[in-house]
Amino acid sequence: MKGLYKRVIRSLLKNSSSRRGIFFTGGTAFILSFFLLTPPVLLPSETNKKVLILNSDVSIINYSLAHTGFQSKLPVPENVVDLGSKWVDEEKIKDAIHDINPSVIYCIGTRAYLLAYRFAGNKHLVFSSIINWRRLPMGKNTYGISNELPPSMQLTMYRYFFPEIHKIGILYSKDYNKEWIDIAVKSAKDVGITIMKRAINRQDEVTSVLEELLPKVDVLWLTPDPGVISNTELVEKIFQQSNDVRKPVFSYSEAFADLGATLIISADIPTIGMQAAGIALDLLSNKGSTERVQSPAGSHITINLRQVKKYKIKLNEEALDSVNQVIE
Amino acid sequence: MQNIWHTCINVIQLSNLRKHLTVGQAPCLFFTQAGYLCNYRKIRESKTLFLNVMILTFALLYSRIKIIRKHILTAIFLLACFWLLSPLITTADHKYIIYFYNPETNINNFASLKKEFDVYLSSFGEYQLQPFSEREIFDKVISEKKDGIFLISSWHYKKLKETVPMEPALVAISKNKSTYRRILSVKKAINNPNLLKGTTIASSSSEDYTKSLLKKMLGKEDIVNSIKILTVPKDIDALMSVGFGVAAGALTTENSLDKLATINQKQYEMLRRLSVSEEILLPIAATPKPSDHSHSKLLRIMKEMGTVAEGKNKLNMLGLDTWKELDESEKRCLEK
Repeated sequence: MKGLYKRVIRSLLKNSSSRRGIFFTGGTAFILSFFLLTPPVLLPSETNKKVLILNSDVSIINYSLAHTGFQSKLPVPENVVDLGSKWVDEEKIKDAIHDINPSVIYCIGTRAYLLAYRFAGNKHLVFSSIINWRRLPMGKNTYGISNELPPSMQLTMYRYFFPEIHKIGILYSKDYNKEWIDIAVKSAKDVGITIMKRAINRQDEVTSVLEELLPKVDVLWLTPDPGVISNTELVEKIFQQSNDVRKPVFSYSEAFADLGATLIISADIPTIGMQAAGIALDLLSNKGSTERVQSPAGSHITINLRQVKKYKIKLNEEALDSVNQVIE
Repeated sequence: MQNIWHTCINVIQLSNLRKHLTVGQAPCLFFTQAGYLCNYRKIRESKTLFLNVMILTFALLYSRIKIIRKHILTAIFLLACFWLLSPLITTADHKYIIYFYNPETNINNFASLKKEFDVYLSSFGEYQLQPFSEREIFDKVISEKKDGIFLISSWHYKKLKETVPMEPALVAISKNKSTYRRILSVKKAINNPNLLKGTTIASSSSEDYTKSLLKKMLGKEDIVNSIKILTVPKDIDALMSVGFGVAAGALTTENSLDKLATINQKQYEMLRRLSVSEEILLPIAATPKPSDHSHSKLLRIMKEMGTVAEGKNKLNMLGLDTWKELDESEKRCLEK
């Protein structure tokens, strides 16, 4: 059998046309095997996938913190475009996106996101630092981090800090926050809290609704509902009214610290930036992201101990190690 | 700033010395220099000391008036005396610092922490807290500084002890224990470590510390290397992030997990305890070698913090209750 093979090969090599055939067939097989059998190699354009950070205004502290958080996690070199506080030539931004040709654009703030949404075509967009992201247009390549903590997170912290609080009052507008309030009511039950909700149809109802609600609750929870807190005057009035009946106000933004909010729980901005970087990295490696819009994973807590003493609410002292800022 | 100002004065004096130095001005130079020498804090700075010696020597060489030479010689003599006596003078109330870095917790309330500690410590003398967020910077600073004590994790101590000579003295106490355990809690669906490949784990500790601990706990280096760490501010954030689907698991202290069980049973029930660490020593306080009596004094102040309400409040900001001296078994654990 072995001898037969040898004889066939020798006779093929003797014949010049057979020899040519062998070389052609072998060469083609070699070239094909190179493409078919070698592991996929990233082309230069794929290895140089770029990320563009489009910041609405880097001088705004929260935007800057998200930016820094993002950069701390992303090992690839990034390109940065700061839209700044002044008017920008949109054509220039369009050209910049075209020239950089990024695979992922991290949009910090609404302005940046809307511009990227218009000019980025099919590129992946990752947004953050946008209040109420649901009102914005969303493409199939849009991902992001919500700016609002889930109600269950805030309620868990309320329970942790103030174990004797059982009834929380909320004003809300059906147009903006109906779904959110339903989730909050459900989550509150998990931590032994009852939410007493009151819908507001018109701003001039706020005072009378609060008059009825405040005596029935231990605390008022001010949420980012544009139907309720539409102007500074109204917000000041809410705080004044709560103070008059010695009821603390829990809130979601540092902006209310000066007005006398007792507990402020907001999303931790650097963590949001890091989460956005995580999504960007997944997109760069074609892994995709499990959730299109993630909840913020970190919280930032400010407590006003003056108000705690003033309203004589029992504070769990152990919880103080979770506080980022204490107002005394 | 004061240093620069004094240097400027010295240079001006030197440049004008030959032309303008008169018998009347000589005492001015003498008193400027002598007054400067009396400022004991400046004496500790060798550059300033060297500059002063140079100024006086030049003044001596340039001076043609005998009386000035006499004053300058007196100044050099005084300088020598102060220099020799400076350790005794300066250690009395020189500013000593508590250098703090802890990779086990993501402390981001540095401003409040520093303010609170500084106010408390100031009632005992010139002491301060200096917290650090970056390990590299902390390591560099403490390798150069000897004017304080180091508040670090036991994990970090083990890494530093080879390069920075230091002596562990105190260990923190929380819930009457000097040790704690970390738990890896995961989604209910994850029932073995292999399923963690490529997932995200939330932790309030630094990334390198979290990965190092996970390697010890899971014993699967390839799995741990594939895990992404999401650093969050607090343990409770890490635990809640599993419930929201942001992370597949959370590495937290056992105490935090127990806390979640009491506050939010529903969130707690969504988790599975996949792995438990060995007992870990709580943060320690160490003194640089060699140490002096100011280090001992500062250690004493720290040790007594847990015995007064005000001090205890500050320690609570670090998640600690009090301090105690390290016993032999704890010292052995640190030397492992």
